[in-house]
Amino acid sequence: MKSKSTFTVKALCKSFSGLKAVDDVSLRLETGEILGLIGPNGSGKTTLINIMTGMLPKDSGQVTIDEHDISEMPAYKVPSYGLVRTYQTIRLFKNLSCLENAVIGAIGVGIKRREATRLAAELLEELGLGYKMDLPAQGLTFRDQRLLEIARALAAKPKFLLLDEPAAGLNEEETDELLALLKPMPENKNVGIIIVDHDMRLIMSLCNRLHVLNYGKTIAEGLPEDVRKNPEVVKAYLGSAAS
Amino acid sequence: MNMKDFIKDLDFSRKSSTVVFLIAILVLIGAFIWWLNIPFIEDIFTNGTIMLIMVLGFQLFMGNSGILNWSYVGYVGIGAFASAIFSMTPALKALQIPTMYPFLISLHLPFPLALIAGALVAMIVAALVAWPLMRLSDSVGAITQFALLIVINVLLSQWSQVTNGPRTFTLGGTRLTSFWLVLGVAVLVIILVYCYKESSLGLKLRATRDDRYAARSSGINFVAVRYVAYVASAGIGGLAGGLYSHYILSITAASFYLNELFLLLSMLVIGGSMSVSGAFFGTLLVTLLRQGLRQVELFLYKTGFEASGSAEIVVAIILIAFLIWRPNGITGGRELTWQSIKRMLPIASEKKDPISNNLKKEEKA
Ligand SMILES: Nc1ncnc2c1ncn2[C@@H]1O[C@H](COP(=O)(O)OP(=O)(O)OP(=O)(O)O)[C@@H](O)[C@H]1O
Ligand SMILES: [Mg+2]
Repeated sequence: MKSKSTFTVKALCKSFSGLKAVDDVSLRLETGEILGLIGPNGSGKTTLINIMTGMLPKDSGQVTIDEHDISEMPAYKVPSYGLVRTYQTIRLFKNLSCLENAVIGAIGVGIKRREATRLAAELLEELGLGYKMDLPAQGLTFRDQRLLEIARALAAKPKFLLLDEPAAGLNEEETDELLALLKPMPENKNVGIIIVDHDMRLIMSLCNRLHVLNYGKTIAEGLPEDVRKNPEVVKAYLGSAAS
Repeated sequence: MNMKDFIKDLDFSRKSSTVVFLIAILVLIGAFIWWLNIPFIEDIFTNGTIMLIMVLGFQLFMGNSGILNWSYVGYVGIGAFASAIFSMTPALKALQIPTMYPFLISLHLPFPLALIAGALVAMIVAALVAWPLMRLSDSVGAITQFALLIVINVLLSQWSQVTNGPRTFTLGGTRLTSFWLVLGVAVLVIILVYCYKESSLGLKLRATRDDRYAARSSGINFVAVRYVAYVASAGIGGLAGGLYSHYILSITAASFYLNELFLLLSMLVIGGSMSVSGAFFGTLLVTLLRQGLRQVELFLYKTGFEASGSAEIVVAIILIAFLIWRPNGITGGRELTWQSIKRMLPIASEKKDPISNNLKKEEKA
């Protein structure tokens, strides 16, 4: 039986010397769902992820997984509560092998080494990186680096996964591969995903719901079809995307 | 983490070959030199192996954390003095270092225990000072470590009641550090340092070296992970210091300062700081090089040239060259493994290596 968890963000705020990068954002996600977090450049998506994972201190608000408030915790404790992320600007352990990179994800949340190695190897196979297991991460192609980051995140057996622009830098074909990989993931791995991306095709075919930010504020949320028609979104988002 | 988990943690089936190779090389060289039975060469080997232990301890923290650990040689000094204070008889101490605190004069342990006690003292000092320093990375981290080295050096060179101050500290008595003891300790330390590196704890530290942020968001408390390695590294340094002082039999604080550190650093960097094999081969290479250059110096001296110090200059130039052209050292930061040897041999069969075969296919495509 699959256990259900809920990830909630309540009235989260963060300013950088006067600039409100995240302004009163609230959202909610259950395991098994994919939520698309979109907005023009500089709208605060990455900052929101940084705060949710404890990498940046919040000014006010709450981030909870089930009944645990994780927003006061040091960043290294957050994965143990089931929340992991990937980075827009890929951050891998470049001198470690692919296998070791993925193993870190698992031992970081306290999984024993032998089990961690098994799990990591399995995930790498699943993502098609199996035969590169012993190679150092720094020689990988861009696509493989993106996938390895996802493998490392999944090795932590997360309840919630935050993907910051996983398709950035990938070509159309590679994006389709990624789509095929992510689509069944909430169901198979019993995980809730928040995905940030500028590729609307990917977002529209993947997400159950969308959440739109502009200048740090929520300007729309709901079903993809509805959000797409929302005039404010069209103005803010398409306006900047068209330019 | 208990010892049983620690051992189980190791992915031995893949990687144990490194430890076997390094130990085999060291023991074979040792046995050959013993068989030669030339005191001059035995002396070079014993000194070189003590250096190897120092470099291995240096690698444990610096190689895996990426932090330039200037203070390391200070812990070698602490171990050297502390173990000597423990091992010397009260009568001998009262004679050699009359200024020493009476309670230190009264201490006395058998030599093996004194060595361990010296290492423990180094670890305790490290454990007391290190926590706030472990937050600091990059150049800030290196600068604070350098400042700490100066503090340790001033204490060692000025605290007359403990170290005999700036005067030479003479151990007296017989030489307790033997050829085989040093070799045995080196073997144990190779195993220890390698097992640490491959353990979960070591893997976590290596992750923080490559990307501190990604390590943090993968659940790693980098301050704690660094702290453990720093204290362990100080312990190995202290142990090596004890072996050193009971071999040389007279030490001063100056023996554990910038010259010594520079030598350790060149050995580690030329070999490749990210691997235990790097520490090993770097020590081997630089030791051979320095001995060779010393012979050249001697020869020149006999023919009327004054060329002292040339060994240091050559090592320094080689270090610079490595930092420019091969910053990961001769090993490239990798370990010597069975696979890597097979790859170097021309007879290596293609079929047995699925990884490089797949890569070749990909390159063709
Ligand atoms: N550490 C920081 N210090 C100061 N300002 C910051 C910091 N991080 C982000 N900002 C600012 O906060 C705003 C939101 O940035 P953020 O990176 O979150 O946007 P984003 O939505 O992820 O954009 P993109 O789509 O380009 O990735 C921007 O104006 C940015 O300049
Ligand atoms: Mg961003």
